[in-house]
Amino acid sequence: MDVDSGPSLMAACYGAGALSSLLLARWSGRFALAVGHLAALAGAVAGVGVSLGVLLGVPGRTLTQPLPVFFPFARLSLSVDGLSAYFLFVISLVAIAAAIYGPAYLRAHSPDAGSARQAAQGFALNVFLGCMAFVCCAGDALTFLFCWEGMTLASYVLVVSDDRDGENARAGLLYMVMAHGGTALLLVAFLALAERSGAFDFAALRMAAGDLDPATRTTLFFLALGGFAVKAGVVPLHVWLPRAHPAAPSHVSALMSGVMLKVAIYGILRFAFDLLAPVAGPLPFSWGWTVLFVGTTSAVLGVLYALQQHDLKRLLAFHSVENIGIILIGVGLAMILWRQEGADGALATLALTAALLHTVNHAAFKGLLFLGAGSVLCRTHVRDMEKLGGLARRMPWTAGLFLLGAIAISALPPLNGFVSEWLTFQALLGGASRFHGPAGLVVVFSAAMLALTGGLAAACFAKAFGVTFLGRPRTSHAEHATEAPPSMIAGMMWLGALCVALGVAPGYAVRLLDAPTAGLLQGPGASAVVTARGPLVLSTALTPTGTAISMTMVAGLLIALAAIAWVLRRGLQPDKWRVVPTWTCGMKPTARFDYTATAFAKPLRLVFAALYHPRREVTRETAGTPYVVQRIHYAGEIVDLAETQIYHRVTREISAFSQAIRARSTGRIYGYIGFVLGALFVALLLFGVRHP
Amino acid sequence: MIGERPLGLVLLEMILLVLLGPLVTGIIQKIKARLQCRQGAGVVQPYRDLTKLLRKGTVQADTASAFFRFIPVLVLAATVAAGALVPVIRAGPPAVPLGDALLLLGLLALARFLTAIGALDAGGAFGGMGASREMTIAPLVEPVLMMVVFSTAIAAGTTELGALAAHHGTSSIVAWRAADFLGLAAMLLLLPAETGRIPVDNPDTHLELTMLHEGMLLEHSGPGLGCMVLASHMRQIVTLGLVAALFFPAGPADAAGAADLLLGAGVFAAKILVLATYLALVESSYAKLRLFRVPQYLGVGFVCALTALALRIL
Amino acid sequence: MVHTIIDDLGALLLFTMILIVAAGQIYRAIYAVAAQSLLIAIAGGVLARATGNVDLWVIAGVTLVVKATLLPWVLHWVVKRMNVRREVEPVIPVAATLALAVVIVVVSFQLSASLGPVRQAITGNALPVGITLTLTGVLVMATRKTALTQMVGLFASENGIFFTAMAVTRGMPLIIEIGVILDVILAALVMTIMVLRVRSTVDADIADLDRLKG
Repeated sequence: MDVDSGPSLMAACYGAGALSSLLLARWSGRFALAVGHLAALAGAVAGVGVSLGVLLGVPGRTLTQPLPVFFPFARLSLSVDGLSAYFLFVISLVAIAAAIYGPAYLRAHSPDAGSARQAAQGFALNVFLGCMAFVCCAGDALTFLFCWEGMTLASYVLVVSDDRDGENARAGLLYMVMAHGGTALLLVAFLALAERSGAFDFAALRMAAGDLDPATRTTLFFLALGGFAVKAGVVPLHVWLPRAHPAAPSHVSALMSGVMLKVAIYGILRFAFDLLAPVAGPLPFSWGWTVLFVGTTSAVLGVLYALQQHDLKRLLAFHSVENIGIILIGVGLAMILWRQEGADGALATLALTAALLHTVNHAAFKGLLFLGAGSVLCRTHVRDMEKLGGLARRMPWTAGLFLLGAIAISALPPLNGFVSEWLTFQALLGGASRFHGPAGLVVVFSAAMLALTGGLAAACFAKAFGVTFLGRPRTSHAEHATEAPPSMIAGMMWLGALCVALGVAPGYAVRLLDAPTAGLLQGPGASAVVTARGPLVLSTALTPTGTAISMTMVAGLLIALAAIAWVLRRGLQPDKWRVVPTWTCGMKPTARFDYTATAFAKPLRLVFAALYHPRREVTRETAGTPYVVQRIHYAGEIVDLAETQIYHRVTREISAFSQAIRARSTGRIYGYIGFVLGALFVALLLFGVRHP
Repeated sequence: MIGERPLGLVLLEMILLVLLGPLVTGIIQKIKARLQCRQGAGVVQPYRDLTKLLRKGTVQADTASAFFRFIPVLVLAATVAAGALVPVIRAGPPAVPLGDALLLLGLLALARFLTAIGALDAGGAFGGMGASREMTIAPLVEPVLMMVVFSTAIAAGTTELGALAAHHGTSSIVAWRAADFLGLAAMLLLLPAETGRIPVDNPDTHLELTMLHEGMLLEHSGPGLGCMVLASHMRQIVTLGLVAALFFPAGPADAAGAADLLLGAGVFAAKILVLATYLALVESSYAKLRLFRVPQYLGVGFVCALTALALRIL
Repeated sequence: MVHTIIDDLGALLLFTMILIVAAGQIYRAIYAVAAQSLLIAIAGGVLARATGNVDLWVIAGVTLVVKATLLPWVLHWVVKRMNVRREVEPVIPVAATLALAVVIVVVSFQLSASLGPVRQAITGNALPVGITLTLTGVLVMATRKTALTQMVGLFASENGIFFTAMAVTRGMPLIIEIGVILDVILAALVMTIMVLRVRSTVDADIADLDRLKG
């Protein structure tokens, strides 16, 4: 079976999965679910095969495949080049874990779901995965847009599929509205290009964009950037993310956070470097700096809001905003540094390598964290970490894997988060050396903000892991939790192993980045820039001195030192080991003594109070005199500033406008016919009279 | 760039740092004691404390999970691994790729994260409070450190500590550029924050009002506590070594003979002694800051580092 | 050689400027501005030695005596005598003031880069540092409530003017320098008298004078 038939195989698997979920639901919901997820697993494995075939195959080869003709005015096709194959690879990796994890999770989380709902979930999952895969493989604008829309609709179905309270429906509605706003912007950008070129496929669009004037080019880019930024969850267009991602089932949240956001990044890269890029010379000034600025803001604000969340999944959703910001920092740098005079392209390749490596790293560890949160959720039915605690003794595997994910996302060595952040820092250093004046200072400030987000992420996950898994259980839900089913653990272990492998031996992953970077930037491939000294050493040969680290060596050193330290820790009297209750100044320790999540995050809330504008309300109930306090009630709230300042105002304006229009609505039919006539007349005047 | 410091020398330097770490703490305690007009314990007292802890048994809280036993091991391993990255005796990049400043900061951050996890493990309020405060200060220190490292790295084009030290050269202060003064000022402001000393933290107390780092060690006992204490000694000498490598890199760059190695070790010891005296003087002259004044204090360091960078770039 | 020393002194001046902006107590601000004036005097002496300009020696000496010793001593005396509040009261938070100071640094470096031909070979970085000091002194005056810290800001600003003058013209004509110093001494005298008199008659501080408006 060669690579060329791969996409058809993928389509067949996902299609079979979707159909079988619908058909088999009549007999047994559980069976339908299992078959659907199995088909999704097969499709994902096929996806891995296709992508590896393209990435490791003949360099510079693009896999093209025309699709059956649906429309008379356009030919649909697939075109899988290095960049598409890489994103397909990322999608498929997380899809494998989600497909293994899914059935057991849905059974444990909602055991009383009807077969209709299970059918819908299986169907939607397959459609979701298939559409995401084909967005990346699309070779023309129509395929891209169809699959983009299918992706949005399928994820909407999954988001509202578990409607305990009305909350999920509201989250889904907000998601739909914003996603369609973004799609509208994309539509305008694509159609503007298609109108110039007369055809829809990417080659024609590329050629048409070649002779655009700079103003139009920049306008189209910013339209496309806006459309993709909504889907990627960039501040301030991120408000749907913290509502929609937690509402979906956990394996779907893992897919949405880990993979769907990356498809938007794919779109930005495709537009900036491929479709809209000028034929020669660097990209316009505003593109790269805007993306860098937006990325830095998202990174800092994302992690700041994540710190104050107590809902496990909402916290993870805000961290996705942060990591997309980090990826965009790399992308922005690559856009700034590409094709600059006097440079040999190595710096742009380094920045793009950092961004793409962070893509796969984030998919791995975010997926792992969401799956871990899901297994906590399905066993305790509680999302609020203030009601959990002590789960490490009851769910050791979940706790260990969650800790692995937490160390990875905090960018701590020797795991994969550190590798991509190191590469981003090296790219920022290279960029800062190149630019003199305020531009260099902005780049360095970005680096400082990146360091800040790394520290804050570590603080946030110390809180999340510590309050959820350590200490004493705070409620009976947490006390009676048991370990998650083995298939869920298996799904998590797949991603955990990926995190460790990408952290300890990242050179092999860089090899996969050769095709995307060389193809997109037409410069040196990623291996030449980053792993010039062999696959075990990451080096940046930017200057004669250069810098090099070897994650493998660090991991080896850590293991050796840990072994020695273990001997030391046993001490001279290893048998003298007592277990006693925690010292709490002589009182009997209860769960009330443990530090809460609110308390843990409070110092940071006070330090960053200017950004949070926290609302705080303390009421005291007294009896008789003011000195006898019966009860103190404390309420604190952090609202997302983007929501209050921007969105509430916009919705208020829209509502007011709609109310004003509503007054005009007469309810009589001839009035409406009159409106239609007027609109027709205006359209004729505008478009008909222009071309005599 | 492949340098000349062989792996054996790198490991030897690491072991040297482990052995000298408690001595530095002892010296600082002695200087503080003499400034307070008392005799103070001997300079080798930390070694005696460590051996005493190794002889004791362990008492563990009943709510601690399985992770708790591994925390001291991992924290010590991470801190000692960070020590392998500091150029001690010779400047110049090592032959193996183990010398990056960012990797050093990452390993120290790993140690801090694991300590905070261990503190939350046993339950109770002390650990939580210490962990919360430490994880508030840590993210504010990182950007300043990053700016200081960048301000020295931009000139050399690399973040490798040995290469930075060699680039600076063995010249005296007259050859310093103006930006180095401000970078050094920022670094000196950060030193008490990184090593957990006044005015950011009080290392001599376990009261909940004044502790950050010590609060996270409360639940450890016996050899586990010994590992954690050794890790904090190591962290201190690694940070001092980082300052020495970035700002005072005097030392032979291509030493091979035994005499040159001894000279390099002696120069390093002298630099560490000067920085340790600075720490002791600062501890004896100032009071501990309120926790919420520390961001302002670090903000001054940030502005110094930013100005240093501005001087270098603009 | 000379311009390296001027560069280093410029860095130290920036450090004292940061200390003045971030000072939480009035004593620290006074000592910082005294140190700053000392550094200006040293810079004047170095330049005098390098260029042989006798006027610069006089300026350096006068700065040393008046601005590094006399005026800080006067301020110190006022603080001690009047039992003024030791804390510096900022109008906007200190962090915001520090951020504005950073903006001023960047802007002044950009400004001096575009004024290229004016920079003399001998004084290197002195022009941007001088502009920074001047503007930051005005910033301190604008963001502090008490009269004494405003005085400190005035001194810092004046140090900046001196440093800029040394950078651009290798020293202003002597008469202008003496005139500027006399202005500063006069301002200090007036401020001291006002603070003492206002304190003793009305028992309020300068910042409360705004109650007098109609």
